[in-house]
Amino acid sequence: MSRSEERRQARDGGGDMKKLYIVLGVVAVIGIGAVGYTVGSGSGGAVSEPIIVEGLDDINRLVELAQGMTKGDPNATVSIIEFGDFQCPACQQFATQVKPQVELALIESGKAKFIYYDWPIIEAHQHAFLAARAARCAGDQDQYWEYHDNLFRNQTRWATEVNAEGTFIEYASSLGLDEGEFASCLRSDRHAEVVTANMELGMQLGVRGTPTIIVEQGGVPRNILNWDFQSLEAYIDDLLTPNEGA
Amino acid sequence: MSEVTGAVPGPPLNRMLVSVLSLIGFFVAIYLWAHNAGLTGPIVCGVGDCATVQSSEYARIGGVPVSAIGVGGYTALFLLSLIGLQPPQRASRTIAALLLSGSAFGVAFSGYLTYLEAAVIQAWCQYCVASAIIITLIFLATLPEIGRLKASRT
Repeated sequence: MSRSEERRQARDGGGDMKKLYIVLGVVAVIGIGAVGYTVGSGSGGAVSEPIIVEGLDDINRLVELAQGMTKGDPNATVSIIEFGDFQCPACQQFATQVKPQVELALIESGKAKFIYYDWPIIEAHQHAFLAARAARCAGDQDQYWEYHDNLFRNQTRWATEVNAEGTFIEYASSLGLDEGEFASCLRSDRHAEVVTANMELGMQLGVRGTPTIIVEQGGVPRNILNWDFQSLEAYIDDLLTPNEGA
Repeated sequence: MSEVTGAVPGPPLNRMLVSVLSLIGFFVAIYLWAHNAGLTGPIVCGVGDCATVQSSEYARIGGVPVSAIGVGGYTALFLLSLIGLQPPQRASRTIAALLLSGSAFGVAFSGYLTYLEAAVIQAWCQYCVASAIIITLIFLATLPEIGRLKASRT
């Protein structure tokens, strides 16, 4: 091979290497951009579906992990338990039409306490899990029930959004919560474990839809199918009335 | 390391391919690693179940995340291919042997991980599958190194 041919080959090889470096540069820019975006963006951090929780098949562990939110006198002997989904229209109906009366007549009077367990139907309601976490993030700042009620009141708005994260943060702000702290909680996996455990507890208890209303007294749970206020009040008054016939 | 024979050959196309593929593999592995370190929050999975795979006991070997091993492996292959593309190293037997053995080890390791996903964990993470495909392609791209090993021996 002559010297000029060698020079030409080297020059051709140099051209190939230049093209290679351009391709590598493009791959590097795309790679850095994609990884950087995922690591840096908030959307990557907000857990919006159940997570893997070890040991939920152990009933003791499940009962330990699953935690409802309680309103009213914790010593009340009767518990009104709801397994609910913030994106469920029937739950909205219960929350806006029945629960206020229940609170006035049964909770504030000390006759019963109300316990809300998350049971987001993730197959049908894309924001339900995130909403459950959002309410608990508000609970970290002692405003669970205010946020809970706000979510149900405004359900038709956020349920139809593509991404409800911003709206959830806006609600926190409107309630006077520390927005930064709330956003940081929402954009993490905080409370994902307890919401997942609540879902599993519901499954174990036979919950198949929402709202499922259970009235419990003395460790005996009863599934209430007619959860209108009059039926609930009558049922609980009956439970609290000493059994004269015995 | 440099055993140059005769005139300087042009940059081997297969090594160019290895460098591009290993850089792509590097970013897939670094994404999984970042997830493992809790930097990305939940992994975005259209299909499969990365959370199951990533939270399984097989996601770490001796305390080291499998994704970190992947980052190291792809980095090594990338650097080797780039060195092997420089004129003095284009006919290097050492580079040829390292590329071939490195990618063969990678494809075997990846095959084992894919087996774990299929048979033991019974969940698929598409990023792990993507990595398995990339390392397989890298291995195929290093096969011409066999010719280079044989040629330099004669």
